Amino acid sequence: MNTVVDDIMMKPMSPVAAAPAASNRPSKVSARNVTVHYGVKQALFDVNVDIPANQVTSFIGPSGCGKSTFLRCLNRMNDTIPICKVAGEMKLDDMDIYDPRIDVVELRARVGMVFQKPNPFPKSIYENVAYGPKIHGMTRNKTELDEVVTGSIKRAGLWSEVKDRLNEPGTGLSGGQQQRLCIARAIATKPEVLLMDEPASALDPIATAIIEELIDELRANYTIIIVTHSMQQAARVSQRTAFFHLGKLIEEGRTEDIFSNPKHKQTEDYITGKIG
Amino acid sequence: MTDAAATASPHYSSSEAAAAKRRRRYAADARLRGYGIAAISLALGLLGVLITTLVVGGYPAFTQTMVRVDFPISTENVDPADPAAGNFRRVMSAGVSELLPGAESPAEVRAITSILTNNTQFILRNAVVEDPSVIGGTLALKVPASDPFDQLNKGLINRDTPEDVRRLNDQQIAWFDSLREQGRISTPFNWGLFTNSDSRFPEVAGLAGAIVGSAYALMVCFLISFPVGIAAAIYLEEFAPKNRATDVIEVNINNLAAVPSIVFGLLGLAVFIQIFGLPRSAPIVGGMVLSLMTLPTIIIVTRNAIKAVPPSIREAAYGVGASKHQVTLHHVLPLALPGILTGTIIGLAQALGETAPLLLIGMNAFITSPPGGVFEASTALPTQIFIWADSPERGFVSRTSAAILVLLGFLIIMNGIAVFLRQRLERTW
Repeated sequence: MNTVVDDIMMKPMSPVAAAPAASNRPSKVSARNVTVHYGVKQALFDVNVDIPANQVTSFIGPSGCGKSTFLRCLNRMNDTIPICKVAGEMKLDDMDIYDPRIDVVELRARVGMVFQKPNPFPKSIYENVAYGPKIHGMTRNKTELDEVVTGSIKRAGLWSEVKDRLNEPGTGLSGGQQQRLCIARAIATKPEVLLMDEPASALDPIATAIIEELIDELRANYTIIIVTHSMQQAARVSQRTAFFHLGKLIEEGRTEDIFSNPKHKQTEDYITGKIG
Repeated sequence: MTDAAATASPHYSSSEAAAAKRRRRYAADARLRGYGIAAISLALGLLGVLITTLVVGGYPAFTQTMVRVDFPISTENVDPADPAAGNFRRVMSAGVSELLPGAESPAEVRAITSILTNNTQFILRNAVVEDPSVIGGTLALKVPASDPFDQLNKGLINRDTPEDVRRLNDQQIAWFDSLREQGRISTPFNWGLFTNSDSRFPEVAGLAGAIVGSAYALMVCFLISFPVGIAAAIYLEEFAPKNRATDVIEVNINNLAAVPSIVFGLLGLAVFIQIFGLPRSAPIVGGMVLSLMTLPTIIIVTRNAIKAVPPSIREAAYGVGASKHQVTLHHVLPLALPGILTGTIIGLAQALGETAPLLLIGMNAFITSPPGGVFEASTALPTQIFIWADSPERGFVSRTSAAILVLLGFLIIMNGIAVFLRQRLERTW
């Protein structure tokens, strides 16, 4: 323990350089020198990170540290905010996300998003899930669309609860069911990456447990990045963790390493509850 | 503890100063409530006075005195082969001369004929043409009484005024009374008010032309202002950059809503009629002018309805990969539609009652039949009221009030639909 403390005392407070992923697989999503400004206020300072494929990476950190901002950069949702300026390089596989030639609509079909507060469309459950594939022209006829919808709802663990009421409005479900509906909607467009911005923070513990179980099942087919306020959730659900503080990425690595053996004092302070 | 404590005041602090403060506070609350009640009473009172005046003045117009006359339709006057060309004036005289015993001379017959409406011949002709089987027999027909006798029957002519200043002399009144004794007088509901067009004679004047004209004008107004207003609002809300030029546009649209309506009438006269060459008094011009007035209302209402759509819906749609126009058309607009519809109906109800611009473009002409299309000359409800208010005949006094009541009825129905829609379609997120 003492050597750890000495280590922390001696290390300067600087963002960690890109660490190679635990395995030698190429990373699914990578970021280099990402800087984000909201008008004159800088929200992210030179973030460098690699997200490996088919694993759950969690972003933790106190409120306002920039983790949601960074998440929203990955599917260019920050484009909808006029004063937001993004600089740096972000790649999905080998494609530069911010290349001006990129079609944002196609990007968002490949990178799906689930929001903090469940927000199903005020349409039927079927229409909610079918909307994405429809507008991207992913199916040729009703039968194929039915298959995609059914498959997504099943994969989201919601089928048994809604199979005989697909035409009822999505807003009539409970909070946990709505969030699973939003997950089904996100995976209906067959994305490769799933971004989840505190998906269970508005739900009760039982619904949260169901969502966490779902995330664990989904990682076989998707790369998942989850922003969470709860360190216990990050410890339960993710294989890799990145700790943000005041717009900087302080530390990133395997979840068990971050939680048992943090390299930076700020990380240790946050984990032990001294800050945040 | 003691009796004194048991009967002590329940309040927290029971000193005199505190009690005085409490009393002042209660008094202030009661005063505020009183002001509110007084304001509401005043508003409702004024409204009540308005409605009562209209109803009291207008209810006589909702019934029409009818005289039942037996007209012998002889084949001398009407040829069964060509009923429309018959001499119905003679038929009318034949029927009238049998009405009152003792009235033989042609002068007297003519005088008695004045009890019936001036249009009696044409009413007769229409009845015979519709049912030629009565030729050769007798047709018992209920004919509207002419205006002075209609007023007499409704008690609106004072029999006590001296004869030389009275509208009807004693002889005419005596004739009418004897007709009443014969049981030939009835006062059924005046459906003619809604089915007839305007006429010089109040007993057969109706609002049909005005209602159709207003309907056409409102339809044109809706067809122009609804799509244009919604498109403009969507552009301003979703696509316009937030800069100086957009601010200027917004300010100007809000100002348009405050422009006096008569200015739009001048615009219609100068541009639509003179420059574009559209026909005068036509519902199309009326509709175009009204749409200019309804446009700012619809734009403002639509913008508010779009702003009320929660951003979480938009984010969800963007997240799934919808493009800007898909988010707007598939998600925002359907959710904003209830608010837009309510505001549109209210805007149209306001347009229905606008008089000044329609007067300037000539929709106050004397038109005796409903328009066949939007390019034919016509009147509208508010301008018809204006015309009747100016007419000298006694019967038009009550008909003016009745027409105002009809207009108010339409307005109440339209606003009622708007309220109903708003309650039915309002959703909680």
